[in-house]
Formats: sequence, C-alpha cells, structure tokens
Amino acid sequence: MKPQTHRYKEIAREQMTDRRARGFLDLLKALAGKRKAAYDDFPDPDAAREYSRAIRAAAVAHLPQLLEQFEKSATRAGAKVYWAADAEDANAYIVRLAKERNISYVIKGKSMVTEESGLNEALAAEGVQPYESDLGEFIIQLLERPPFHIVGPAINIDPQEISDIFIEKGVMSDATTDPVELGYAARCYLREKFHHLEMGITGINMAVAETGTIINVENEGNIRFCKSSPDIQVSIMSLEKVVPTMKEALFMLRTLCRSATGQKLGAYVSMDTGPKKQEEIDGPSELHIVILDNGRSTIYEDATYREVLQCIRCGACLGNCPIYGKIGGYSYGWAYSGPMGQALTPLLLGLDRTKDLYYSCTLCRTCRDVCPAGLHHPRLLRRHRQKQREKDTVFHGSGLNVREEIGLRGFALAAATPTLWRSAIRAARLAINRKSNGGIVREVLGKSEGWLASRDLPCIGSPTFNEWFRKNRS
Amino acid sequence: MKRVSVHIPCMVDTLMPNTGRSVIRLLERLDIPYIYHTNQTCCGLPAYNAGIVPETKKVAKHFINVFGRDEVVVSTSGSCVNMIRKHYPEILADEPDWQRRAADLSSRVFELTQYLVDVLAIEDVGGEFKGKVAYHESCALLRGLGVSEQPKKLIRALKGAELVEMQHADTCCGFGGEFAHAYHEISEEMVAEKANAFLASGADVLTMGEPGCYLNVSGYISRHHPDKRVVHIADLLAGLSDSQGC
Repeated sequence: MKPQTHRYKEIAREQMTDRRARGFLDLLKALAGKRKAAYDDFPDPDAAREYSRAIRAAAVAHLPQLLEQFEKSATRAGAKVYWAADAEDANAYIVRLAKERNISYVIKGKSMVTEESGLNEALAAEGVQPYESDLGEFIIQLLERPPFHIVGPAINIDPQEISDIFIEKGVMSDATTDPVELGYAARCYLREKFHHLEMGITGINMAVAETGTIINVENEGNIRFCKSSPDIQVSIMSLEKVVPTMKEALFMLRTLCRSATGQKLGAYVSMDTGPKKQEEIDGPSELHIVILDNGRSTIYEDATYREVLQCIRCGACLGNCPIYGKIGGYSYGWAYSGPMGQALTPLLLGLDRTKDLYYSCTLCRTCRDVCPAGLHHPRLLRRHRQKQREKDTVFHGSGLNVREEIGLRGFALAAATPTLWRSAIRAARLAINRKSNGGIVREVLGKSEGWLASRDLPCIGSPTFNEWFRKNRS
Repeated sequence: MKRVSVHIPCMVDTLMPNTGRSVIRLLERLDIPYIYHTNQTCCGLPAYNAGIVPETKKVAKHFINVFGRDEVVVSTSGSCVNMIRKHYPEILADEPDWQRRAADLSSRVFELTQYLVDVLAIEDVGGEFKGKVAYHESCALLRGLGVSEQPKKLIRALKGAELVEMQHADTCCGFGGEFAHAYHEISEEMVAEKANAFLASGADVLTMGEPGCYLNVSGYISRHHPDKRVVHIADLLAGLSDSQGC
C-alpha cells in the first residue's frame, strides 16, 4: 500500500464533510457502549483488562524465545515456517509459491499485515489474481480504496455504491441496496472461486508458541474457507502475534473479541496446528507460515518503543478516539488508523514521513484506558515528538523547523527564568491586546487563523494574576 | 491546617486572572492559610508535550526550587498536576537527586477540587449559584487524576445549584494545546460537539476544572453562542464575578 501519510490534513478536511462517513462515525459511540457491556460480563472487567495487558507485555518481553519456540512447534506439526525480513521478502516468497504451481488466482482472508506489505499488488503484478473474501475487503478491493477501519474496512460505504460496483464488476446483475442480498451476491460470486481454489492466504490473530497453533477469529466464515478448501494454505503474521500457551491464547480471545466488536466471541474461531495429517480427510496438505519482521526487530530493540508490539489490532482505540471519530480511517494514509496507527506507522515508515500522525492528538488518554493490550498511546506519541525533535537516526527523525525550535527553546528558557517570563508576558500582552474588543481577542498581528478562525481568546490580564497579587496581597 | 501553596497555571495567570482571584477568595472564605510564590512561571507541560525534554528539565527544576519546600501545593489545572506528579520524576530519572526531590514533591501536589474534597473533606464551600450546571470531565482530571466525583460533590453542595447530565461529558473537548491551533479544523469539530452537548443539556452554565478546556470551550461559545456561559470551577465555587478580561 502506497503511504499517503503526508496528505493527512487534506484527507481529514475532505472526510469531515463526507456525510456518509460522518454518519458511520457517529454510530461508533454506540459500539463503544456495546464493547463496555461485553466487558461488564467479566466478574471484574478491570482485572480482565489488566490480565490481558499482562499477557501481552510478557509475550513481548520474551518475544525472541517465544518465536523460536513457535517455529519449532509449528515445524514439528508439519508446517513450513518462513522468516521474512521485509515486505518484499514476504511477498516474493508467496508469489514464488503460487508461480511454481502455476496458480492463477488466490483467495484471501482479511489481513492487515498484507495491507501493510502490499501483497495484493505484488501478486497481481506477477499475474496471480488475489480475491479478497471478507465482505468489507471484497468491496474495497473492487472500489480500489484503502480500509476505513482496521476491523470494518468498508463500513463507511453506502449500499448504493456497493450495488453499483457489484454490477460494474459482474458480481451481480440486478441492483439492490439490501445488505443481505449484497452479501449473498458476493458469497455466490466467491463460492465459485472457492470450488477450484488451490491456494488460500490468511492473516493470523494469534500464534501459540507451546503448540505451534495459529488462530483466526472472524464473523463471516471466509477465513475458515480459505484455510480448508485449498490444498495450500499460506498464513502470514507480523512477528509480535505470538503468545506463550493455549491457556493465554484462549483468554486473549475473550478480550480481543470484546474489544473489537463487543462480542463475547467471534462467530468463527479456527485453530490450525500444522497441515492435514495422514489420517485426516480435510484441510490443506501444505501449510506455510510467513513471519514478517518489516522493521519490528528494530522496534523491539528500543525498550521505550517495545510496547507498540503488544497491540492485537482489535480496533478499540479507533472506536473510542475523538479524533478518529471526526476524520475516519482514510486520513491516516496507510494500513493502520486511529491511535494504534499513530503509534505504529511512524516507526515503520519513519518519523519524517508521518508527522501529522503524532502531532494530531490531544493526548486525551481514552485509547490507553480502553486498550486491552497495554499500549500507552499518548506516551508513545510524545516519544515520537521527542525523537523527531532529536533527529533520531534509527526512526528517521528530521528535526523541528527553525521557527519551532526557537519558539520552544525561548518558551522553556523563559519558563525557567522568572524575570524573563514576566517580560515575555508583558510583550505578548502588547501584541495580543492591541486589537481586543470588550476583553475579547479575535485577531493577533493582523491574522485570524488557526485557533482564532473559530474561537475567541480572552485578552491577557491587565493586571495578570501575578501582578494583581503583588499589588494587593503581598 | 496545612498552609496551601497556590499554584496558578500560566494560562490562568495571563488569560484567566479572575479565576486566580477566585481561588484566593475561596481560600480566604474557607479560612485556609495560603502562600503564593510570585516567582512561579509555568510547569513546562507545553514544552514537554512538544518533545523538547532537556529544556523541560530546566523548567521542572525551577518549579521544584520554587515549590519544593511547601507542605502542600494546590493547582487549578489537572494537566499541570499530572505533569508535576507523573512526568517530573520520569524526565528527571537520570539525575537521582532531582528525581528524589520530584518524587518527594509529587505526593504533595493536588488539583483544587481533589484537595478540597479528598484531603480537607469539604463539600460545601459556602457558595451559591442559582441555576442548572453541566460539568465537562476534562481528560487530565478524569483519566489523568481520576477526579470526577469531587467537583460534582462541590457543585451539588452550592446553594441553588442543580447539576444536570450532559451527553458525552467525558469526551475530549479538542483542546490539546498546540493541537487546537495546528489542527484547528479537527479541533473545531470536537469543540462544536461539546458546545452542542452543553446547549442540549439545558444547563445555564458549563463548568470544568481545566484551564485549557475552559479557553477552548469558552472561546467557541463566545464566538458562536455569546448568550451562554462557561466558567472554570474555581469561579463557580467562589461566586461568579465579571468574566475574564483586561
């Protein structure tokens, strides 16, 4: 996926006037309630969230060992594990598998990591047609749009638009805006492809180190289809998806589903330990598990950033973010949106290319409070700002511009020097109060932009509190 | 009774001086002894949030020098209290002496309503407000300090005041410091939603404990609904005087 992170403001502006997107975004608040209700089903919801966070923190703390253990267990069960250093490496491996067997098309289950790696484009470029089978992904693939939400990629698309594109692309012949009929049309269209499918590709929600099992959660059954109907199954995960034991995986399923959709459990949970065994009649005869690094080892090495890897992609932070709730998923310009995207994307793409992602945040902490994986997003974003300013070489910080640098240094210097601070306030007062009217400022230095475009500012007190106190109380 | 060292956040000092005076009026009315250090400046939060840490450390040290020997420090801003309590010890981690001083100070710094209710067990401050009051749960108070019931108790105890529900009271108002200026279009959408919730609540006044939220919401209300009123909770408790001004 080609990053559009530099167009954040522009896309956000556009999205804020998109009625359909706004309609959906307003519904998010209801989903937040559903999520909370699902958590209330735990005897102690806070303890459940804390336990979930602890599992993720422990898993990431032991990541290298767990990954090695997973590789051994999965290999023992008959799977082939491939370590991909970057997106190109992963894509090349999968393309090669398909080409070696003269496969003309593959069907995919929904997978954010393949959005990150651009697998569809890589397959298509080599003449292997990828079909997305998650209904939302299927729709946005036809529309050639990025995902609007990491869990509900097409949730903002109008049924009429879906009907139009389905007819245009030959998915169905008669127009309808009935969601059930639209779903049925996609199902019939894909069912035909599943009949002759030779290779299915899925993501992975969790990989269990102890058993070598990969786990997928879904509501449509398409992932299970991708795993059970073809002879070759390829499942890809970014390297942080591993958990130590099945016991922990089963608990994480409970928080993952609650946090993602407000369900106690997704409609389908499938667990695969290796390919089909000799005595079995169902399942693929080859299982390839691709473990993608793509910059994550570098994140792991930085102790202050490591917690980013705890994320389980549930989307709870998106649904509760007041900014996501206004601008929607496209604005974030890449595979990952909302607070988790703001934390992760700058580390994968570089701080220099993703500035808006970490500056456009009020640090309100709602994301941190709902996160079942223990990410402290505001702290991570503040860390991005710090590394950007310090021109960090590992994550490509490019520094502040001269004006920002001087402004901030001056501010801090004054704040550490009372006499300078008081003179700065007096100077600011001269500038700001010049055009004040009835105590209200609507223009500073001839400009009414930014804050002043939509908000007034009180003028600076004359006297300030400090001046008043010196005169009246001390 | 412990002598309260009054911290007046920079935004209150400059843009909301009446709120500072309300704090003094309130303390005097409640016979709480106080002191105000005139060499106080800013806690350094804007610099810290902008990611300039070495410079922020100098600001933190100044703050610790000014307030470090006080028995108790009370502030009219939840975000300053968070900065002092949580972030000072973090950013001074590589200077053990300073970190010890920061950690020592952190347990003695309180947000105003938190101090009144939790420490002094005061709910009735002897104030009066005739009308309906809506309360905005500022992020730094609610999620930062866990302060939510304290201001509500104080509001309910005001003579004549009725605390009314406001939809999405705990959603961020869209301030976020520099964010409100740099991303003003997004910020405006957020503050407009807050203003609409206030209007829909039927309250006569909207109050909150955070100067940033106050400037944001009152600035928007002043521009778009000048007949409505937003006040900092210190003003509501002390009795409303004239609006901020110069």
